[in-house]
Amino acid sequence: MRHVMVLGYQVPRHTALGIIASLGAIAALVVLAPLGGDFARFWVFGLAFGIVLQRSRFCFTSAFRDLFLLQDGRGMRGVLAGLAIATPGFAIVMSNQIPNPTLGMLPPDANILPLGIHTVVGGVIFGLGMVLAGGCASGSISRMGEGYVASWVALGGMLIGLLGVAYTWNWWWDISIGRGARIWLPAYIGHGASIAVTFAALAGMYLATVWWESRSGLAPQPPALPAAPGVDMAARLRHVAQLVFVRGWPIAIGGAALGLLNVLLYAGAHPWGFTGELSRWVIGAANALQIGPGTLTGADELPGCALELGDGGVLHHMLFLVLGMIGGSFIAAAFAGEFRIRVPRQPARQLQALGGGIAMGYGAGIGLGCTIGAFFSAIPSLGLNGWVFAGCLACGAWLGSRIIAR
Amino acid sequence: MQRLDVRGEICPYPMLRTVQALRKLTPRDEGLVVVTDHAPCLETIPPQATRLGFSTTITETGTPEWTLTLVRER
Repeated sequence: MRHVMVLGYQVPRHTALGIIASLGAIAALVVLAPLGGDFARFWVFGLAFGIVLQRSRFCFTSAFRDLFLLQDGRGMRGVLAGLAIATPGFAIVMSNQIPNPTLGMLPPDANILPLGIHTVVGGVIFGLGMVLAGGCASGSISRMGEGYVASWVALGGMLIGLLGVAYTWNWWWDISIGRGARIWLPAYIGHGASIAVTFAALAGMYLATVWWESRSGLAPQPPALPAAPGVDMAARLRHVAQLVFVRGWPIAIGGAALGLLNVLLYAGAHPWGFTGELSRWVIGAANALQIGPGTLTGADELPGCALELGDGGVLHHMLFLVLGMIGGSFIAAAFAGEFRIRVPRQPARQLQALGGGIAMGYGAGIGLGCTIGAFFSAIPSLGLNGWVFAGCLACGAWLGSRIIAR
Repeated sequence: MQRLDVRGEICPYPMLRTVQALRKLTPRDEGLVVVTDHAPCLETIPPQATRLGFSTTITETGTPEWTLTLVRER
């Protein structure tokens, strides 16, 4: 392990990189704070999401894929932990906004999205794409910060796919999105029963996952921990630092932290999601080149991750959420000594990442969100669309795992 | 022992290629050494190795690089 001198102390080179990156993140915060526009808040949340994703190696793709590929439900249990934390948190925010849900009003920022054939097609295509690309949108963004070149390629593919949706949006709007009902469970059965039903469904999924695993003949193995530190205080502190900064966190802790961050973000602004922001980049660029898709019927009336026209200039608070996620993952990877520019040795893998990315982009565009906006933020919004999208993601991931296991 | 280099590969390929390689071993091979730079597979490979009757020892050989030594049990 190579070391460098910092202020007279010898520290490993990767730790020094982490310190420099953290100082850079703080400097960016100082610059962003006076600009307003909620830039600073979203930068901080982005960093936090990125750090948690990297440290817990949280991966929505593996949560779905490994159920089929390995009969392993570890990732899915982490996702369920996150949903179980976010559901009551979202419910508190929403019940304050809409105390009486039976009057036909919807909480304005919750991801309660039109339901229709676009949800089904989008979910299946997205699920297939994320398995081929080796990571969904959030996974690819956090792996970009860890230095995986294939994840940068996957994100490029997503941008292409989203631009493709922009040119076909009005068709999807006419046949499905514009006609889709936005079904918010509390409008039918009230707040309390909606939470109860959601918890029952999450518990059902947990039982199904454990049952499915128990049939695999694969005993769960807790990862080996570093040796016990003894009584020396410095050694004990080193042990804790090792557990936090170097070892991967237990996946349920990662999921719960993501769920909690999502609640905090929603309480202050709106739920987590960024497909709309990615679409804003490419649609904005296409508009600047005068080859834009023109008007996107109804898109600006939808909450969450629907396409964005990209006419608001370069700076937008969501830009800092995405950049923060890349930065947070980079910082966490640097401290752990896990940052490295990694190029796949087989060129075919790049093509696979690009193709998977394009599929993800198109699926997220018509599905009105990715694994975050249309699933991880939608189920706690108590929208029926989140459960439909989840089922379709699972179908797509099953198809994808059949393809890659060949 | 045979050596399998899966550096540069990301999930699920390190695990899939390890399982493939383990299945190809003859009963006389005592095991397999896997080299990876993808941390998540430190958690996916050991259970699969156990299922196929191999024990796993992980050593950190660089930042970030690990060697998983899979040895046939018995």
